[in-house]
Amino acid sequence: MSPGGTSAGLPPAARAGGFVLLAVALVVVLALSITVGARPIALSDIWNAVTAFDPTQTNHKIILDLRLPRTLVGLLVGAALGLSGAILQGATRNPLADPGILGINAGATLCVVLGISVFGVTQLSGYVWLAFLGAGAAMLVVYLVASLGREGATPVKLALAGAAVTAALTSVTSAILITNVQTLDQIRFWQVGALTGRTTDILMQVAPFILAGIVLALLTSRILDGLALGDDVARGLGLKVQRGRAMVGFAAVILAGAATAAAGPIAFVGLTVPHLARAFTGPNYRWILPYSMLLAPILLLGADIVGRIIVPPGELQVGIVTAALGAPFFIALVRRRKLAEL
Amino acid sequence: MSLKTLAATAFATLLLSVPGAAFAEAWTYADGSGTTVTVNHVPTRIIASQDAAAGLIPLGIRPVGIYADSAIADAKALEGLDLTGIEIIGEAWGEVSIEKAAALKPDLIVGEWWPLDNTWSGGADVVNALKPLAPITGPKQGASIVTLIEDYEKLAASLGADLAAPEVAADKAAFETARDKFKAAVATKPDLSALAVWAGTDALYVAATEGSSELMDFASWGLKLIDPVIADDRGYWETLSWENIDKYQPDLILVDNRSKITMETAKAQATWTTLRAAAAGQVTDWPAFWLRNYAAYATELDKLSAAIAAADVSIGD
Repeated sequence: MSPGGTSAGLPPAARAGGFVLLAVALVVVLALSITVGARPIALSDIWNAVTAFDPTQTNHKIILDLRLPRTLVGLLVGAALGLSGAILQGATRNPLADPGILGINAGATLCVVLGISVFGVTQLSGYVWLAFLGAGAAMLVVYLVASLGREGATPVKLALAGAAVTAALTSVTSAILITNVQTLDQIRFWQVGALTGRTTDILMQVAPFILAGIVLALLTSRILDGLALGDDVARGLGLKVQRGRAMVGFAAVILAGAATAAAGPIAFVGLTVPHLARAFTGPNYRWILPYSMLLAPILLLGADIVGRIIVPPGELQVGIVTAALGAPFFIALVRRRKLAEL
Repeated sequence: MSLKTLAATAFATLLLSVPGAAFAEAWTYADGSGTTVTVNHVPTRIIASQDAAAGLIPLGIRPVGIYADSAIADAKALEGLDLTGIEIIGEAWGEVSIEKAAALKPDLIVGEWWPLDNTWSGGADVVNALKPLAPITGPKQGASIVTLIEDYEKLAASLGADLAAPEVAADKAAFETARDKFKAAVATKPDLSALAVWAGTDALYVAATEGSSELMDFASWGLKLIDPVIADDRGYWETLSWENIDKYQPDLILVDNRSKITMETAKAQATWTTLRAAAAGQVTDWPAFWLRNYAAYATELDKLSAAIAAADVSIGD
């Protein structure tokens, strides 16, 4: 099976068409995310909010200060999760790889918990840098541990090191939370994974990182297609395997770290979306990556919109919706396709 | 002196020299769970829950140990109380150190009876850990903090507290003054409406009056509290998405002050000021669920009275 082969998915000519369709679907979801929410707001009001903003109008405030940043955070976080999942699965040749399995979420969570309990950080905007720091440190430790030994960071060693580091960090987090109810109270909503309460500040803090990460991730498709053939073949093709894997890891940390920083650890999106993308594209990362980048925010924002209207006058957080929808969806996907073909 | 009289004198001396042992009066207390607890002497080595300690310490009954629901520094009920010499045997809800508790050799455990959950403060795990050491007892959570404090007064008196002591009496007098001031402040603004809330990043939680003893007190003293529509069959909160928080427009907002973060979180939300009372700064503390003594109650009531007096009643609906 060669990279770019036609063994699965849409015929090559249809892939570009599929990509355009996804882009259209994404635009529709973005529009829905602005117009649909816990509070019904007339379309004319939404139009006025954009064209003639009046800060005394509650509806205008809700559109510009709540729904717009929330939608843009959802777009960026979704794209980041989808891409980071896809490149991690490619680089580790592990169909179950996602930000959760390589210690990224656990590291981000521990750092946020420490920030709350030790340094007294109280607001979401303060969590961003902590989550970033934690994600980067955890990924670095995972990579260093996996690199020990002659053969370097092989996929299996990365997965094992990731699982071990995740377990270690999670137990420290639990130890802090069990003895500190106030920290638990604060982190509860962050830990669920949510787009609620994400302000323009938070958007501005993470946007540069996610945009840079997206560019970097899209550049790795050649390396990933090479790695898919096995390390030895990739080396034979003239690819620098270790350097390539490090670059992928770096892009993944930026993407997943920023996504987790902005929205909390959201499960299943990074894991599921690349598999869904492969169903359309076949095993070709030049297509898997852009497809994942569009599919993930469609799913994330779609789940968020469902959560907004399902329990009025409250809301269900997106992390709960993706977990509830993602699990059965993923099982169905596993049963339909052989995921081990990476 | 005959041998007989000597023996009689010796016996009488013996009797007088053993006070508080075989002939001490047994201590009984009819508690909030409906049972009567009996100890064969007046208990002196008491382990108290954080809330019970906050009720007893100002009345002059100092427990030897306290089990708290969270880090002791975060226990709002204990704020300002002198805890020197009292061992902290638990700092998380449902957890208590059995070794530390046993080492204190308690003769009584005091918690609060939660009728809805049918258990004592700290829950089943704490009760199971402490019950073998000493009987567990205490007042019942109910419809009024005042009643709860009066229950603590009865309990403390039975344990030997002097309720007429100057500082104890002064606390009570301060409370009565504060309560009368509160009633007067409310009476001058009959149209004032208030809303009690807890703010999270995810949503604004609006409290039902009957879910909290102090809100029921406020209502009984004339404060008009807006009662939310509770969708759940259990629970005392209505969850409002931050998009919908202007569902109610009170004149005065009371924000749960167990943690100061709650107020910060509220103020950080873009739509917080769509509550007209928030925009006008008509926001004050709600001493949510933690009041257990007259001194703290007086302080909190004075804050509320000031906020009520300053409030413009044309702000809300």
